[in-house]
This record gives sequence, structure tokens and C-alpha cells, in this order.
Amino acid sequence: MPLHLLELILFSTYAELRAERSRSYLGLVWWIAEPAMMMAAFWLVFDVILKSGGPDYLPFLLVGLTLWQWMKSCITHGGYAIWGNLGLIRQARLPVLVFPLAQMLADTIKFLCIFVLLLVILWCMGYPPNITYLALPLLFLVTLLFSVGASFLVAAFVPFIPDLRFIIEQILTVVMFLSGVVFALDAVPSPLREVIALNPVATLLDGVRAILLKAHWPDWWALLKVGAISALVCATGIACVLRFSPRYPKLAV
Amino acid sequence: MDSPLIELRNVGVAFSAQRRFGSGRFWALEDVTLNLRHGERLGVIGRNGAGKSTLLRVLAGILQPDRGTVKRAAVTCQLLSLALGFTPYLSGRDNAILSGLMLGLRRREIESRLPAIQEFSELGDFFEQPIATYSAGMVVRLGFSVAIQIEPDVLLIDEVLAVGDAEFQVKSGEALRERMRQGQTVVLVSHDESQVSALCDRLIWIEHGKSVLEGSRDEVFEAYHRQLHLAGSST
Repeated sequence: MPLHLLELILFSTYAELRAERSRSYLGLVWWIAEPAMMMAAFWLVFDVILKSGGPDYLPFLLVGLTLWQWMKSCITHGGYAIWGNLGLIRQARLPVLVFPLAQMLADTIKFLCIFVLLLVILWCMGYPPNITYLALPLLFLVTLLFSVGASFLVAAFVPFIPDLRFIIEQILTVVMFLSGVVFALDAVPSPLREVIALNPVATLLDGVRAILLKAHWPDWWALLKVGAISALVCATGIACVLRFSPRYPKLAV
Repeated sequence: MDSPLIELRNVGVAFSAQRRFGSGRFWALEDVTLNLRHGERLGVIGRNGAGKSTLLRVLAGILQPDRGTVKRAAVTCQLLSLALGFTPYLSGRDNAILSGLMLGLRRREIESRLPAIQEFSELGDFFEQPIATYSAGMVVRLGFSVAIQIEPDVLLIDEVLAVGDAEFQVKSGEALRERMRQGQTVVLVSHDESQVSALCDRLIWIEHGKSVLEGSRDEVFEAYHRQLHLAGSST
């Protein structure tokens, strides 16, 4: 990648984070407050009211939602980035992948800040640091690869059919519930559980939870499979964007 | 004579009529042939909707032709775009950097030009303020000051000849004319015939997406006016 594009991505990321801080009254407080409010809502429904949470429900939920929030914001923000920048794409000769990449980098930086806070909370709750933390970067890398791939796929088509955005929001909600973000998949009856386990998001969440809450190494074989799927999704996403990129400058804003 | 920097042969560009599957296409450019040589100042004339702006976007490399061929030497072509990528919550300084990066400059190149940009834009201390606090005139001044710092091999200008209030118009117009006098290769689209006449030595006349005539300024203007006159008298 030419260096000036790398500089453009990094500066756009900075601009995005900077703008996010200034856009709202409380600025960066929302990085924490927004996921915290969401966690509180799920905790209230599943643990306090339905009593279906189980003993370690709160840490289980914290880890799941933090990770899911990262994936979801990458997929939506990155996925809408080409569509949102059509005005620019009409005026300047830029590789369109720059726009989703800058968004996802901003979301990843946000996630890493929140994750550090999550670790502190877990330590206070009695889940101390352990040797299996060494596997976290690998899990994050695969998670990012999957999110980037999904986001490129979305980004390739949304400029032509902006209505897809409404469907994507719904699909992501369904994926969240089918990935064990808010309740453990052990509760799901057998044949269905195996089908759901094919979902890469579920495998990644399981892996991270095993490390943080049980000090277990991840299931390497499952991780390899998810990595391969993610690489495939990513390659398909890039191919689609590149294939359509001559058509984006012609679209009406 | 040296070989052309950019050579268009029977170039056509089609757009979809609307955002629907199977909607028809219309050809904004149908058949344009032109040669652009180093140091040339080429004016594009033609009526509204003739395809002049589309032609500039093809020259800039933003649009790929749907038919015909574009041959391009290893040169940078840049559309003079004001306020490209400007973000309201960023300061004038940060917006200048962002815009410069989008226009193809390296970070250090744009940073070394920041003092010149600040001075030319006459923003003073406002340069450090978010541009959301600027008046429309201040945004235009910052936009022009950034754009004039870009030094592509071929500069493409779409009607942007002078911007801002009366005083800044004189200044920005003068800065552009100075660039052209220094041998900058330019393609200029303008409705202002006196400007085109003053700034260009060659012209191309576009009508309904087709190049009608390419040649010296006087020759093309004469043919163009004769046709306009005929069209005027026949109605």
C-alpha cells in the first residue's frame, strides 16, 4: 500500500475519534456509558427477572457484549463507509477501501480501551490474569479478520442498495442472539446447538471467555477453522469492493 | 512535437438513469477524442449538460470510460476541489491536513505547507478552531488555500476560478493565473468566455457528449459562435 494512503487512513481514524468526542455533550464518556447501559438492560432481563443467568452470568455477559459490540460496530460503521463517502468518491481518485478501514481502525482503538477497563473489572471480580492471556492477540486478530471481511462485503453492496442497511441491523440482532452473546449456548437442545456452533462469532466468544474466566487455552482446531472462514470472507469482500469500485463514482449521492 | 500526456479516443461514459435494477443508461459522454500535451492550457466549452464536467472526471481518473480508450503518461492529474473531505468538528489545521492527504500529498509535504495555507487563507487564530465555527466565506478561503498548494502535473479546473468575497476573489484568481503563466498544464471548464479566452490557448468544443471541434482558441470560438448564432436565428 502506498505510504500516503496509510497516512490518510491513520489521519482519518484520528479525525473520526476526534469528531466523535466533539459530537456529543459528554464525548468520550459514551464509550463506556453506552455499552454499560446495554449490559445493565440484559442483566436486568436475563438475570434479575428471568433468573436464567446462572452463577457467573455478569462476567459472562460483560465479555460477550464487549466483544460483540466491537464486531458489530466494525461491520456497520465499516459497512456503511463507502456509501457515506460517495460525495468524496465522486470528486477524488481514492481507493475506496480507505474509508471502511479508517472506520474499523477507530472502532478497534475504542474496543482496546474498553477491553482494558473490562480486564480491570474482571480482576476485581476475582478472575485474575493468567498465562492463557497470551492467546488473546491471536483471537483478536481472527475476530478482526472476520469483522473486516463481513464489513467489506456489506460495504460493497450498500452503495447500490442503501435499503440493505435496515435488513443488516436485523440480521446482526439475530446473529447476536445465536452466538451466545447474552445467553450460553449450552441451554440450546442438541441438534440445533451443533448448527449454531458453526457460527464463527460463537467460537470466538467461547475462546475469549475460556481465557478470561476459566484460564483455559482456546480450542485450536476450532480457531483454525474460524480463521480459514474469516480469511475467505475477507478475500471475497475485497474482491467484491474492487470489482465494483469503478461504479461507485457514478452513483448519485 | 512531444507525445500527449493524456490521450482520449472515442471515449464514452454511461450512467444509470436511477437507482433501480434494470433502469436504462444514459451516455453523459458519447464520443470524445482529445489530446493533451505538456504545458497546454486547454479550455472545454459547450452548453449546459454537454458533458464537460464528466469529461474532467475522466481526465482526473475518477471515472473509467465504458467505451473508447484513455492513454495516460505517468503524470498526476488533480481536480481543483475545494473543501475536499472537510469535517465540521476538526480545526482548520486538521482539515487542511486531511484534505491534503486526500488530494495525494504526503503528511510531511502538507505539514510543511501549513504556514503558507494559514497565511493565504487569512484565518489567523481561527486556523486552530473547528471549522463548524467558520462562516461560509472562511471555509471557502481555507478550501482554496489548501487546493492551490497541490501541484499536480495536470490541473483540472471546473468553474472554480475565483472564490470568496470581492477581495479574496482578486487574490485567488491572481494565484491561479500565476500558476498558469508558470507553464502549468491546465484543462479548464468555464461558462465565462472572457476567462476562457484570456487563459487558454487551445479549445475543445463538446456538444451532447461528443467532441465537435478541437483546435486553436480563435478557430473553435468562431465555429462555436457561428453555430450558436444559427441556432438562435432558427428559433
